Amino acid sequence: MMRKIVVALVILLTFALVPVFLPAIDGQEESKTANKIETVLVPDRSPLVSFRLLFLTGAADDPKGKEGVAALTAAMLARGGSRARSYDRIVEAMYPMATSFDSQVDKEMTVFSGTTHVDNLELYYALVREMLLDPGFRQEDFTRIKTDAINFLKVSLRAGNDEELAKEHLYNIIYANHPYGHHNLGSLGALEKLTLDDVRDFYRAHYTGANLIIGLAGGYPAGFPKQVIADFARLAEGKRERSKIAMPKLAPGMRIEIIERETRSTAISLGFPIDVERGDKDWAALALAASYFGQHRSSNSYLFQKLRGERGLNYGDYAYIEYFPRGMFQFTPAPNLGREQQIFQIWIRPVEPQNAVFAMRAALYEYDKLQREGMPREAFEITRQFLLKYSNVLTQTQDAQLGYALDSRYYGIPEFGAYLREQLSKLTLEDVNRAISQHLRTENMRIVMVTKDAEALRQAILSGKPSSITYPSPKPKEILAEDKIIEAYPIKVKQEAVVVVPAEQVFN
Amino acid sequence: MKTFLLIVFLLWLSMAAAAQTRAKQEQKVFPYAYTIDDLPNGLRLVTVPTDYPNLVAQYIVVSTGSRNEVEPGKSGYAHLFEHMMFRGSQNYTPEEQDAILKRAGASSNAYTSDDRTVYHETFAKEDLDEIIKMEADRFLRLKYSPDVYRTETQAVLGEYNKNSANPISGLYEKLRETAFGKHTYEHTTMGFLKDIKDMPNQYDYSLEFYRRYYRPEYTTILFVGDVTRERALKLVKQYFGEWQRGNYSPKLPVEPEQKEPRTAHVEWPSPTLPRLAIAFRGPAYSDQEKDKAALDLLAAIAFGENSDLYQRLVLKEQKVDALEISFDNQIDPELFTVFVRVKDLKGVDDVRDQILVTFKRYTKELIPQEKLDATRSRLRYRTALAMNSSDAIANALAPFIALRRTPETINQLFALYQRITPEDIRAVASRYFVDDHRTIVTLAHDSEAKRTVNKQGEHR
Repeated sequence: MMRKIVVALVILLTFALVPVFLPAIDGQEESKTANKIETVLVPDRSPLVSFRLLFLTGAADDPKGKEGVAALTAAMLARGGSRARSYDRIVEAMYPMATSFDSQVDKEMTVFSGTTHVDNLELYYALVREMLLDPGFRQEDFTRIKTDAINFLKVSLRAGNDEELAKEHLYNIIYANHPYGHHNLGSLGALEKLTLDDVRDFYRAHYTGANLIIGLAGGYPAGFPKQVIADFARLAEGKRERSKIAMPKLAPGMRIEIIERETRSTAISLGFPIDVERGDKDWAALALAASYFGQHRSSNSYLFQKLRGERGLNYGDYAYIEYFPRGMFQFTPAPNLGREQQIFQIWIRPVEPQNAVFAMRAALYEYDKLQREGMPREAFEITRQFLLKYSNVLTQTQDAQLGYALDSRYYGIPEFGAYLREQLSKLTLEDVNRAISQHLRTENMRIVMVTKDAEALRQAILSGKPSSITYPSPKPKEILAEDKIIEAYPIKVKQEAVVVVPAEQVFN
Repeated sequence: MKTFLLIVFLLWLSMAAAAQTRAKQEQKVFPYAYTIDDLPNGLRLVTVPTDYPNLVAQYIVVSTGSRNEVEPGKSGYAHLFEHMMFRGSQNYTPEEQDAILKRAGASSNAYTSDDRTVYHETFAKEDLDEIIKMEADRFLRLKYSPDVYRTETQAVLGEYNKNSANPISGLYEKLRETAFGKHTYEHTTMGFLKDIKDMPNQYDYSLEFYRRYYRPEYTTILFVGDVTRERALKLVKQYFGEWQRGNYSPKLPVEPEQKEPRTAHVEWPSPTLPRLAIAFRGPAYSDQEKDKAALDLLAAIAFGENSDLYQRLVLKEQKVDALEISFDNQIDPELFTVFVRVKDLKGVDDVRDQILVTFKRYTKELIPQEKLDATRSRLRYRTALAMNSSDAIANALAPFIALRRTPETINQLFALYQRITPEDIRAVASRYFVDDHRTIVTLAHDSEAKRTVNKQGEHR
């Protein structure tokens, strides 16, 4: 029986075809100060309007001893009251519009973002404007927001998400004594001491017109960007000045830190710094290599197939060349995490503790193999094809298009999809394998594991004994033969470079 | 004269505003034209063309979830099955499946919940043919060996492990187990740990599960994006046309009425902040009966960010740093639950009492009309804001497709919201927020918290 129901088109939401990428509107007539505020505009016919107000400041600007002030400042603006309205009044005003205004702080970028239906643009923008330009900086908001930050580090991260804990600690040890050397939310010791005056100082110093890039997307009225520029010209003019952030210097040799806490399984992250960022000559080659080796949350990649597919070791195994926080909650990366310095990272999702050394060896074995042999031709072609199309998935929403456009401005590259297509079309397998051998080579691998019986794990690593593995089902002989190699794979680490860290000490 | 003109103008303005409001109310919340096609075997196709270029979101919704796991010892199989669907079929090895998705630049995954299992891919439109063909093969001709099966059960255990670090999963497991005694909502979608550990021994049962539920009458294929009905229908008929209808329907145990308030406590092995879940037995999803819709509105008003309680506990007294409601649209009666994280163990009793007082309050008080209107507006805009790509539209539709197999149910639900009055809400609240239908679960590191829990019996 065939049944057909056709419902007439109701035009509540009409969508545009292809959004236009407009570089800047520097030529627009505005006051002298206003002219210096950069904009990135992605207009289309959508009934939604997306804001991304990007300040080129972040945790790397936290003064020594005040680690966390960049994040507290952003949170005070996004989750605190304005001068005219207490925070509960702002929540009340946003409630019927179902909108919010969120902040994200990374090392070099702080972005405030939100999307509203165009019906509500005027009121929404009025709120956003007063939140950013006339902050209330009330003590009650400060107390709440500071406690939230402390509890996030102490409880949510240190005692509730082993995977993110391992990753963030990995960053912290790679960037020790470097502007990137603390969690974006700060360090606990410094956070406890921060005051509202520290926040005011940070706001004055870094929330300047020179640091701001206004990003707007969607169906806003024609004159709207001009109005936003004029309003934000009220910020102090400032100067954009950032000295080049150097690559971190690592003590030679492998280092393994084992975070001990009461937990069922063992989370593992590995990584080391790379000298390649988006826009660099070898970026696309490395992006392709990382996608082949460990495309995020995809069963279509090499590591996943070896560790989970063939062996059932865990839930997934991935690789990255750019910072990708909250990967357990999202499938595509958040934009506006632009950094001058990045690491190559391997994420091994939690394994049963008795398989922890085997899993770590397997990761090292596969990484060495990639480094030594590069990727095969067939994999190169198919991964390139994947990335050419996948860029459309990454920029599906107007908010994502806007975010990527801002990042492209930061990295000095064309529109992301066009850039990726252009770069990928020029690539050869030889380019990729040369880039792998040049940039993904290290003697200084850093490894973080989170587990229950840390000292036993440490001894198991240092003993050099094979870490055998058993399976609940028979395995093909090729896998068993490979297991023999992995079980005894040398872990080239000195005794003093394998340390146990009690969870209570992380982020202090 | 001027005054007269002003009055006329104001009158016109208010009329225009009223007309606009009416127009807005008449606009459907799900604004896209869609088509529904039913195949003779019971499979349904829903096609929603959009203006978003190049991409197609394909969501295959199986109305089977952990709710269907009726046999003791067999929890977690709907979810395990979601995993098995990626392990090859008669005409495709997993490697071939992967290669096809990779060439299509697809974002591909699947998820399982109480009531549904959803397989979704978003990809370039030119690859539609090849992907449907491959999908049909795994739905019609799934094939995996006992060895592959056992390996995958270990990945499922890995998934349980990665979730287990989070206290919320412990709290949620305990809540389900305490609030339900007979119905399958007693276990979470992951299943009981003991059942997960037994999965490697249950290869034959896994095949039985497939034979029962991976059938056209349980399945709806949803396409959203740069696609036409003609193309989608032709391909679905071609590749899914021969799928055989099944004949199994599970005998779901009916949960008896709860006759006493229940409490439970989770002693968490590592340091954490105390958490509290307060749940009342609620209704099932309906786009006709007012109960669920009335409580949806109340959930936001009583416990949402703009509620008195939230503002007091989170913003003013700052005793709580997370206050969330969980009250999904489910096939069978679901719990209306408030989850909180309390900043200090000493504050747990007071927070619990304030939440209980709030539940009581709305069984007596009428909600002001303007709060109700603001909440309706919020739900409407939230839906509009969420549908910002073809994939997002499909993702928003999938739960409703699992429940009623048509997008129209969203419009009916919102029409129902429109009809709810403050009196309805009060009447529904007093029927559902009854002490004997309540379950409170606490979680804390310290054993001190246990004493708090034991006192809860007194609090009626």
